[in-house]
Amino acid sequence: MTTLLRTPTAWPSVLLRRDRAGRGRGRAGGLLADPAAALDAAVASGAFEGLKRAVRELGPDGTIAAVASSRLRGRGGAGFPTGEKWRAAAAVEAPRRYVVANGYGADPSAFTDRVLLESDPFAVLEGLAIAAFAIGATEAFIAVRAEDAEMVRRLEAAVGAAEEAAFLGPDLLGSGRDVTVIVRPVQGAYMLGEETVLLKALEGRRGQPEQRPPFPTERGLFGMPTVVQNVQTLAAVPWIVVNGAAAYAKIGSKASPGTILVQVRGPARDGVAEVPLGVPLRDVVALGGSPGSGRKLKAVLVGGPSGGLLPPELLDTPYEFDALRAVGAHVGSGSIVAADDRACVVDLARLLTTFCANEACGKSIPCRIGTRRLVEIADRAVEGRPMPTDVQLLEDTSADIVASGLCDHERLATLPLASGMRYFRSELDDHLLRSSCPAGVCRPIAVAAGATAAGAAK
Amino acid sequence: MTDLIVRPESLPSPDSRPDTPAKLDTLTPLDDTVAERLLTTQAPQRPVATPAIRIEIDGRIVEGFEGQTILEVCRDNGIEVPTLCYEPKLPGFGACRMCVVDVEGEEHPPISCSRAAEAGMKVSTQTEEVRRLRATNLELIFSDHNAYCLPPCQNKCPSHIDIPGFLKANAEANWRESTRIFKRTIPFPSVLGRVCPAPCEEHCRRDEVDEAIAIRDSHRYAGDQVIKAMLDDGIDPPLPFEVQAKSGRRAAVVGSGPAGMAAAYYLLIAGHDVTVFERDPAPGGMLRYGIPQYRLPKVEVLEAEYESVSRLGGKVVCDQGLGRDYSLDDLQGQGFDAVLVAIGCYTTNKLGIPGEDADGVFDGLEYLRTATLGLPVEGHAGSRVVVIGGGFTSMDCTRTSIRQGAKEVTLVYRRDMKDMPAANEVHEAIEESARAIFQAGPTRILTDKAGKVNGVEFIRMRPGAPDASGRRRPEPAPGTEFTIPCDRVLLAIGQGPELDWIAQPGNQGLEATKQGRLKADAVTFETGRPGVFGTGDVRIGAATVVQAVAEGRRAAYAADAWLKGLDLAAIRTRQTLAEPQPEFLSIVPFTSEVKEPRYRMTALPAEIRNKSYIEYEIPYSRAEAMAESTRCLQCTCEAIGFCDLRRLGIEYGTTLPTLEPQHHNGAGFRSVTENRFTGANHDYIRDDSHSFILREPSRCIDCGRCATVCAEVVGAACYDFMRIGFDTLVTTPLDMSLNDTPCVSCGRCAETCPTGALMPKPRVLQKYDVDESRCILCGICVDACPYDALRDGADMELSHDSRANPMIDLLASSAVDRETEVTYIRKERDWVARAIAEGRPIESDRLLPVLPPNIAARVGGGAGANGDAPRLGAGGGDGTNGNGHSHGAGGHARHR
Repeated sequence: MTTLLRTPTAWPSVLLRRDRAGRGRGRAGGLLADPAAALDAAVASGAFEGLKRAVRELGPDGTIAAVASSRLRGRGGAGFPTGEKWRAAAAVEAPRRYVVANGYGADPSAFTDRVLLESDPFAVLEGLAIAAFAIGATEAFIAVRAEDAEMVRRLEAAVGAAEEAAFLGPDLLGSGRDVTVIVRPVQGAYMLGEETVLLKALEGRRGQPEQRPPFPTERGLFGMPTVVQNVQTLAAVPWIVVNGAAAYAKIGSKASPGTILVQVRGPARDGVAEVPLGVPLRDVVALGGSPGSGRKLKAVLVGGPSGGLLPPELLDTPYEFDALRAVGAHVGSGSIVAADDRACVVDLARLLTTFCANEACGKSIPCRIGTRRLVEIADRAVEGRPMPTDVQLLEDTSADIVASGLCDHERLATLPLASGMRYFRSELDDHLLRSSCPAGVCRPIAVAAGATAAGAAK
Repeated sequence: MTDLIVRPESLPSPDSRPDTPAKLDTLTPLDDTVAERLLTTQAPQRPVATPAIRIEIDGRIVEGFEGQTILEVCRDNGIEVPTLCYEPKLPGFGACRMCVVDVEGEEHPPISCSRAAEAGMKVSTQTEEVRRLRATNLELIFSDHNAYCLPPCQNKCPSHIDIPGFLKANAEANWRESTRIFKRTIPFPSVLGRVCPAPCEEHCRRDEVDEAIAIRDSHRYAGDQVIKAMLDDGIDPPLPFEVQAKSGRRAAVVGSGPAGMAAAYYLLIAGHDVTVFERDPAPGGMLRYGIPQYRLPKVEVLEAEYESVSRLGGKVVCDQGLGRDYSLDDLQGQGFDAVLVAIGCYTTNKLGIPGEDADGVFDGLEYLRTATLGLPVEGHAGSRVVVIGGGFTSMDCTRTSIRQGAKEVTLVYRRDMKDMPAANEVHEAIEESARAIFQAGPTRILTDKAGKVNGVEFIRMRPGAPDASGRRRPEPAPGTEFTIPCDRVLLAIGQGPELDWIAQPGNQGLEATKQGRLKADAVTFETGRPGVFGTGDVRIGAATVVQAVAEGRRAAYAADAWLKGLDLAAIRTRQTLAEPQPEFLSIVPFTSEVKEPRYRMTALPAEIRNKSYIEYEIPYSRAEAMAESTRCLQCTCEAIGFCDLRRLGIEYGTTLPTLEPQHHNGAGFRSVTENRFTGANHDYIRDDSHSFILREPSRCIDCGRCATVCAEVVGAACYDFMRIGFDTLVTTPLDMSLNDTPCVSCGRCAETCPTGALMPKPRVLQKYDVDESRCILCGICVDACPYDALRDGADMELSHDSRANPMIDLLASSAVDRETEVTYIRKERDWVARAIAEGRPIESDRLLPVLPPNIAARVGGGAGANGDAPRLGAGGGDGTNGNGHSHGAGGHARHR
């Protein structure tokens, strides 16, 4: 089980509802043993209040307006304004609409979605029902990882209990609208983080992205308008409906209000924590402890395998969508990895790019071949046989992949090397131009350097 | 265990499925399942009347319709946007990223095949950025494209012979077909098989495996077989093309060398009347008077191959020299509509050193003129000879002098041996007892008191700065002079054309270039005088035979156009395009080929051949010729000419100087042949297991067109993207043979493939017998036939019924009834009667327009429940009155 990291008490908690000791007070204890009782307990502590309010007081338009005025942004990584997305989907004329909750958690190193779904599935279900009610969808899917069997069981139990208690299903709380929630365990790969790929997977087709626009809000699942939201986004919705958009907008930064789950891997600890958006990156990294004596922080990987590598000088960057994007990283999967000076940034970037290249779906040329060529440039660098044009080639190719890419996967796959090049240029130059690895990680170069040192000693 | 896959309650469980198939009800919708939704969901349909919108593309305001993509608007307005994965029948796919266009105000250039056009949009299709992105994508594709377009041999051949083509025919011992293919570009396979320097072999890719193919020796063998068949059995040599009907136009060719005769050959095939005028007593030009008998037998080979011209009706008039016996005015006055001047180069260049005119200094060509015919040259036997020069003429002079009994023959060349045009003959000359001295140039010719040559003084040369041809220009090294005593000096330092005649009256309008050659256009071959064309060595200077033949052929096409009254300026662009473009280079060497060294022709021993004018090379045996041709890797692409990738590669790879400003300065090259990207690439196995479709996955660019067309248009879904990451490939599941997929052999995949990855398989012509007694009228042959050789006949609905409704199992029913095909067809033909007899309702829609009256009457009665039945019944009433005709017309109208 993933540990929850203790966060400063001043930080508000929306998703995990931690107590003062930092433990999550998920409202789904004993879910598998007695789902009905667990639901009753959750309802007693306020679950489905938001749904009731949305249905009975706000109505669909009012709900969308509330979400929009809270300025809630999608937690899937890109940070698209949620209210806008709902409004767009609701505006399209269509016989059917869908809501899809992405609980797949594509990043294999981040367990944020899983932690949320296991600790408080009712909040996600409630958010899903509110979204479906607001945009007029009769069917909602929760896509989860088929491998997390425990979580799937808990989620199914939660859906069953909620249907039993008529919080889901036909004639939702007397509104006259039906909302059926279907749990869909999917097996796939990293690409499922891309929404169009997830939709393809739900349709039972090969997971390959589609060109946007048209966005899924216009033409999504089975060609119908579809709202795809991360489970964290949906879990925040009931809170907003109950406590008001203004209260939510006060949490976090002005442009990106609210909290987000992060997976921090630090020198001392690693685990999931809920942090308000806009806090300095330094504070988030600190949750993972500080480097041991004699070591110092060298780089922070922000955003998962396709994230950016940031130097310690940028630790004051606020942890929120726009600021991270500006410095060449992104929120992404919410994963934050701190690397101390034993790590070689070039090797790390190569590893990450290799992962992204191997996970490519193979549809578009820049992605299938381009990312592979980036990997090969990085391979040449760490193996100590760079070509004279490699630095220029890396820059040009990355720029062209970003400009002509089909989906965000290939654009973001250039980030590790691009940010490494931007902030750790001297280390990259050492590899490419001087065939040496300052950290001593890249082995062929280390051997060569050792041989030179031995030769000098003689 | 929990079932992880959630099954909607409404779906019947596998156990509850009834044993007998239920009646298919198409009216009431099925349960609202995901699968059903996939089947029934329609994409939003475009409204019937779409409002027009205006957008700006490349500065032009163009009109499109709402709902169109940018690409559709561009194509409708004749604006070219490159695509690879776009299939016009289907919505944009977005894999190739070639159709990116710049849209004002967008962060990244969108792809035009998916992006809807919006009113007021500003689109640029050719900005520097989008062209760069397209070029990068092409480079990426080529870096994983383990395939070739043109084989390098064909590319490097001045005449661009289809080398893999004739070698393939050779490998099948089909010498006649091999020669026919060869004659498409060069009419003389045997002559060229002896005298061509074979630039093709230097670039052969087989060299990467073991040794280059003996291309020249291979067509020599094939050509010899055709000559043999002609001489022994009187079989006409094959013609490359069908001879055109007589045009009634006349052409004169001046000069019967390789250029002139090639031009005559192709002009004759084009249907023109051709007369060749030759200055010398016999036709052949340099082939006869410049190339010795031991390299090119005159009677057996040269005259035999030249006969193909006379067999086509060409006339050769000898002893008629231009400027000596007649002028261009005379020719044109005699009614020749076109005159091709192909007089070659016969004036040997001067050394420009003292003593050049001394007694004993000979023009090499003049010497060969006599000597190549095997006639002794007075005083040559027993003398010491120095030959100056490094070309083919010098080599011929050297080796002929040996054969004429010269005591000592020394070849002197001012550059190194590797720079010699005739380098491959040097070792043969040395075997025959010649001496060769390289990097020495003559300074003066020494004479005795009588003015007779007794030696040549040379000076050592060293390589200096490179000249225009890229070779290093030799410079004399002072103080290194040396003398070679000799009796005779043969000069063979290059030739130029004799152009004195152009100044004579009657030949006005022609000009000489600065190099002293006849001025004529490089593509249209026009000279300054209308109707007069210049071709061959007289235009390009002394060159190889193969270059001269290529010149002659191209000039023939230009003259043909002139004779047909076409616009020669238009020919210019067409012929430039027709000449093959650079090939794309190999990335990996061939690894899986069996090593098998080249079959070499053996030569007579040097001590025998240096006294003889007999051809010294011993030809291949039949088995050797076949085996040698089998070594060819056939590295040509069948899709050449149809391949979009190649077309775009040429456009975006070779147009750098004008269209691509300096973008990637640091990273080097922008040419597709010189790719910035190297690294891993895929080498897939060719799959020719299917009868009609050839799959070459190494040429696949993963555009996915075949997959979408097969799934969405055909419905078979044989292909899809398989595997992930860099190894993704559009292929069949588990790479199985197409025979194991639901393939219906419709060929749409091959049709849509932008490269040569999927191709209609070349078929060997074969006639099939059909055993009609075993035909079950399944109609599969009708569906599968790619050329509509089989069609639905009178029993059309039989076959279509059976497949549209799988409930009817023809095989099973015929097995039960023990019917013969005769009874079966009879029964099926009378299905209406049978249906009535069995009391089955008949849908009026299935009725044929004309029914026999007696049956139509019964149908009306039998189909009472049917809404259409009253009308039918009324018609039937007419029918009983004997008015079958009007009844038929009524039925017909209803069906329309």
